[in-house]
Amino acid sequence: MPPARPERAAYRAGPKLENNRTAPTTGSHMTAFIQYTLQGLALGGFYALAALGLAVIFGVLGVVNFSHGACYMLGAVGAAVLLDATGLGFWWALPLMTIAMFLFGVLMERLLVQWLLRLDPLYNFLLTFGLTLLLVDVVKRKYGVSGLPYPLPAGLDGRITLGAVSLSTYQVFAAVFSISVCLAVWLVLTKTRVGMIVRASTEDAERSRALGINVSRWVTPVFGFGIALAGLAGVLRAPTGSVTADMGSFFIIILFAVVVIGGLGSILGAVVAGFLVGLVEAYGQGYAGRFSQVFIFMLMALVILVRPSGLFGREEAAS
Amino acid sequence: MTPVPGEILEVDGLSAWYGEARVLTDVNLRVAPGEVVTLVGRNGAGKTTLLRSVMGLHRQVEGSVSWAGQVLGRSSADKRAKAGIGWVPDDRGIYATLSVQENLLLPPITSKADAWSLERVYEQFPVLQERRDFPGTKLSGGEQQMLAIARVLRTGSRLLLLDEPSEGLAPVIVQQIGDIIRQIKDQGVSVLLVEQNVKFAATVADRHYLLAQGRVVESRDNDSFQSRTSELLEYLGM
Amino acid sequence: MQRTTSRQTLAVLATAVTGSLVLAACGGAGGPSSGGGKISDGKVVIGLLNDQSGVYKDLSGPNSKVAIQMAIDDYKAKYGDKAVAKDIEIVAADHQNKPDVANTKAQEMYDRDKADIILDVPTSSAALAVATQAKAKKKLFIDIGAGTTALTGAQCNKYTFHWAYDTYMLASGTGAALVEGGGKNWSIVYPDYAFGQDMTKSFTAAVERAGGTVQQKIATPFPNENFATFITKAGSSKPDVIGIMAAGGDLVNFVKQYNQAGMADKAKLAVGLMFITDIHSLGVDQFKGTTFTDAWYWNFDAQNKAWADKFKAKTNTRPSFAHAGNYSAAFNYLEAVQAAGTDKSDDIVKQLEGKKINDMFLRNGEVRAADHNVIHDVYQVKVKSKDQVKEEWDYEEVVKTIPAADAYGPANPACKMG
Ligand SMILES: Nc1ncnc2c1ncn2[C@@H]1O[C@H](COP(=O)(O)OP(=O)(O)OP(=O)(O)O)[C@@H](O)[C@H]1O
Ligand SMILES: [Mg+2]
Repeated sequence: MPPARPERAAYRAGPKLENNRTAPTTGSHMTAFIQYTLQGLALGGFYALAALGLAVIFGVLGVVNFSHGACYMLGAVGAAVLLDATGLGFWWALPLMTIAMFLFGVLMERLLVQWLLRLDPLYNFLLTFGLTLLLVDVVKRKYGVSGLPYPLPAGLDGRITLGAVSLSTYQVFAAVFSISVCLAVWLVLTKTRVGMIVRASTEDAERSRALGINVSRWVTPVFGFGIALAGLAGVLRAPTGSVTADMGSFFIIILFAVVVIGGLGSILGAVVAGFLVGLVEAYGQGYAGRFSQVFIFMLMALVILVRPSGLFGREEAAS
Repeated sequence: MTPVPGEILEVDGLSAWYGEARVLTDVNLRVAPGEVVTLVGRNGAGKTTLLRSVMGLHRQVEGSVSWAGQVLGRSSADKRAKAGIGWVPDDRGIYATLSVQENLLLPPITSKADAWSLERVYEQFPVLQERRDFPGTKLSGGEQQMLAIARVLRTGSRLLLLDEPSEGLAPVIVQQIGDIIRQIKDQGVSVLLVEQNVKFAATVADRHYLLAQGRVVESRDNDSFQSRTSELLEYLGM
Repeated sequence: MQRTTSRQTLAVLATAVTGSLVLAACGGAGGPSSGGGKISDGKVVIGLLNDQSGVYKDLSGPNSKVAIQMAIDDYKAKYGDKAVAKDIEIVAADHQNKPDVANTKAQEMYDRDKADIILDVPTSSAALAVATQAKAKKKLFIDIGAGTTALTGAQCNKYTFHWAYDTYMLASGTGAALVEGGGKNWSIVYPDYAFGQDMTKSFTAAVERAGGTVQQKIATPFPNENFATFITKAGSSKPDVIGIMAAGGDLVNFVKQYNQAGMADKAKLAVGLMFITDIHSLGVDQFKGTTFTDAWYWNFDAQNKAWADKFKAKTNTRPSFAHAGNYSAAFNYLEAVQAAGTDKSDDIVKQLEGKKINDMFLRNGEVRAADHNVIHDVYQVKVKSKDQVKEEWDYEEVVKTIPAADAYGPANPACKMG
């Protein structure tokens, strides 16, 4: 049996194998590039969706929600359990799990997170970290570690082919869906009063309070909303990835990289960086194989060096 | 409009700390209805801390603050804002993620009768109308200051806490701010103004408190303040 | 405002902390050993060291303790009053798939718990750490769960045996079978760490031995969630077979995305190492038609089925080959104790070396004296399609039995038994 998944250091060990004796075939580098780009965008939409929730929670509450990965996992596992227990498939799971995770988020905020909001943000980081361990363990105990089956929704199991470029229908659907959700969230944020308040509170909650906005009233729904987005991302992932208790443990690291690149607490930053990271990963896979993830963290390091507050973080932050 | 008799700000025996460090000691002050009062003191004297304490943003405090007959106690900043206290922070506090107009529309209106309409704001500050769709922080410093003041005027606040509004601004703009403060005063609104620009303070204020090392060392009306400005400033080390 | 900076710092910190949590590795030290008497300390202690909580928990984990207990019960039933080992105890520990943890736990088991033998130990690096301890303390170790050929190669030793499978056997079974079936051109996708590299080497050699070629070897990060682009690349050379050397969650990710990429129609999928629990978790649909090599399948014949039924009565699930392998190793160990009349390591080794075994798990089995590899017939299997599945866990169709000698090849010359 191979080493455990989290032993990332292991892949530096051992002799290097000669790699890629044959380059991608018959000339068509352009086709490959387009293919990678589309795959990157599809992946990016998905990262953007999950990172959006993380960014909003961070902005409004100042909480670095470590449990975002676990909530993503709960969304996927919940969808699989729902299917197994009631036969309700993907199209039901999308709304039902999103609502369920919203409620879960509300409970989490009311029962736990709110008590630590006044303290150093480290406390809530540790709280959500502990909660992650707990949730992962509970799921392991209940559903084992090998994961749960989850099929592709009927009608989305085909391929969409345009010339030499070909993508799975589900991948296209997931990308379009994620982008639509991001857009919808964007519209709510930019065109409504609630959105304006959330944006203002995300940027500076204290100042918003001093301007007469009852930020506390928005804290719970915003937290629930962020968690709901994580759950939704999890449901979207279920048909195309492994549904296991551990599925969020690595995902959360990528998400942190996304929000750091985008600029913490920047909603637009999370979305843009989500796509950026998706593209970097896809090009990395296409052109640099094993190092595809390394590029994500190199990008993060570069952003931290050049713009410590992130691509869309406010420059004034540097004072 | 005239001052409303009960609208008094009273700070009583206020002390404030940052952790172990005490930065305000037993401060007493009072702003009468429709009065413009300045708080003068050198850097680090505790002026900003005082305003933030009144606003309910700095919470490591002892003593009492009351406004319009209500003891504010531990009430939150948003409750205080809704009770009619408007805050213009020293960094102006303009939102980068909100447009100029959104910055104006964000705070809820607290007093319909006193609230400036958007039209009135734009009439008074045409530049804000011109730039209303720009991100708030794309304005110049002076424009941002106008926006910050206009923002609280739009809510109809009855007490404004202005933290060094003239800092770093060109003389013309400082003058403009002076005009606005006088207008506000005519409207019966009270102002607690933190200033280091003493000349400017003297052109708008009724009274002055001198703050040194977290204590109020002097309280003067404007006339006696003006006649002894340099002496007082020396005393404060400014 | 300063606050924003510290928020950003916090997030960077969070990322770093998370990253390092995921890494984490450490070392351990040696200790004294003890022994004596016919049965040391009056009882036989079997240590079970494996993944009790992580990704490999389901395919071996706590249920291997049940399997070992079944071996103990069968041994006692067989010998009754004549049993040499009257008091037999199992101690189990979680090595979290980490070599350093495995090292410490193995020491504890041998020294503190007076374990006479350690069983299972999945994860190659952990298995090699335990083998080193076994050698140092002159105590037995039978590995079931790990795949590395190093256990019976360069790092073999007198007290270590390798019972169920290794990467050579997986490759020679699957690689040769597919090439013979017309799958000449291969692309291999492998996670870039020791196990994946080892598998890729074994597979390349096996494919080439059988007359095929491996055109692309594509390394992926580990762990990895998104394979779409890797799959596009793997398909770009129009291979007959795409081999995937990932395991656990990565394997599931790969297979789902492989099917979505429509590759199933274009190339055969060969999975390097697969457990029945993988098929169970993903559903047969996703693996339909996939070829792999299995060391043992519960529904192969009546003998296997009978044991699997007993196992199911205790665990409510069907056994993987690792469960059956743990049973077989424990039972044959106790048989050796019985034959030797003692649990002294050197006497047990003498009993085991060269022994030919036919039991529920091993068919035409032999404990090869030269390298301590326990070779046996293995099975080339295909995943059934949904309509062929008659009951839960009925997922595999055995296409061919591969004779032990073909599956394992000759004894590893790198092994110098000390
Ligand atoms: N967040 C803080 N933590 C610790 N000490 C602080 C903090 N903010 C201010 N202080 C200290 O409290 C004292 C009062 O600061 P405050 O900002 O209220 O002064 P100020 O009179 O407004 O000064 P300035 O004219 O520079 O704005 C200063 O000594 C300052 O160093
Ligand atoms: Mg100040």
